[in-house]
Amino acid sequence: MSDSDLPVVLIVEDEPDVAETYKLWLQQEYEVRMAQNGDEGLEQLDADVDVVLLDRMMPGLSGDEVLERIRERNLGCRVAMVTAVEPDFDILEMGFDAYLSKPIRSEQLHETVDNLLDRSEYDSLLQEYYALVEKQATLEATKSSAELAESDQYDELTQRVTEMRDDLSDTLGGIEDDSDFIATLRGLSDDEDN
Amino acid sequence: MKTTERQTMYDLTSVLEFDALSEVRPGSSILISGPAMSGKDRLAYDILADGLREGDGAVVVTTGDGAGSVVEEFRSLVPDLDDSQLGVIDCRGEGGTDEDAIGNAHVHHVSSPGDLTGIGIGITKALEGLHNAGNEQGRLALVSLSTMLTYTDKKTVFKFCHVLSSRLDSAGYIGVFTIDSGAHDDQTLQVIKQAFDGMIDVRDAEGGGREARVLGLAGEPTDWQDI
Repeated sequence: MSDSDLPVVLIVEDEPDVAETYKLWLQQEYEVRMAQNGDEGLEQLDADVDVVLLDRMMPGLSGDEVLERIRERNLGCRVAMVTAVEPDFDILEMGFDAYLSKPIRSEQLHETVDNLLDRSEYDSLLQEYYALVEKQATLEATKSSAELAESDQYDELTQRVTEMRDDLSDTLGGIEDDSDFIATLRGLSDDEDN
Repeated sequence: MKTTERQTMYDLTSVLEFDALSEVRPGSSILISGPAMSGKDRLAYDILADGLREGDGAVVVTTGDGAGSVVEEFRSLVPDLDDSQLGVIDCRGEGGTDEDAIGNAHVHHVSSPGDLTGIGIGITKALEGLHNAGNEQGRLALVSLSTMLTYTDKKTVFKFCHVLSSRLDSAGYIGVFTIDSGAHDDQTLQVIKQAFDGMIDVRDAEGGGREARVLGLAGEPTDWQDI
């Protein structure tokens, strides 16, 4: 997070009017950064950025190339591709987290950004959940059931695992549709590579 | 988990006669655990074949059998099978299959059992294909998690199962996932179990034959029972 504590959205768009419109829509709820081309976008990008809106067709570096460099830098940000044509699942295979087809309405833009932020939350909850489950499993694998029944630590862990499981179910808004599902799975493979 | 009330419960008792399996909630994911050669994969296929006879769709994610032989297998299990009710995600990384062998089944090839994105895309396309073929409900089998665990670590497999379970939940499907209990350490098995709503344990019975018990789906763990 940056100084303002608002989530940070980076808009990479070569048409100034379009970029300004997005900014106008988003600036109430997010800290917005703007870049007119891929190189500028990469300069503006740092660990504070939560979501990148990336125009696919730009002079200079294309959206695809920018995406590749973002992924190389291993920043945790989510990237939505903005495109003039409705793409297939293939686009998700390339590593985008979501796509928006032009022309974009305000509502749609908000929905996509919120959804990507939700998904980041889901990922970190899942990570936290896993850590608890692993601890619990270690106890189960090394202690007898009598020892487990006596253990306050185990009791507390079990409770927290149950709570986290419920929290995760509540955050499942992020996995309702196909692109969420695929992008979340892709995120798992990326984590593993790190 | 999100409730999918418009859908009816799944009754698995014609495959395994346990009360705990008479009303399995849509969205449930079940781990089938047992030693090698204890009939886990067979059980998973039987659960899907039973569904096909009841009009449910079936999706098989396979790391061992090729798509062609999976389709063949289901054609023999369900004599009047309509291929379009079946989806297969073949993760062996061996490329295309003979067109005739797969008929109208929704087949997708993935480069390896460790390619989670590819598997996700395959499942998505299969679910879409089955939906378009008129299936509102269905059953998915992943055979096997043990092979996946040789390609990727337990953390990733755990998360994969969790994410896939959520997807199945929103589709109103149930899932059965097999694991070879002899191939992994206790801690790995305990971790993987936690990603599931319930478990069917299978083992060889002392006097020959096999027995099973059901844990976590309804009430207390059941007793071992011959199958």
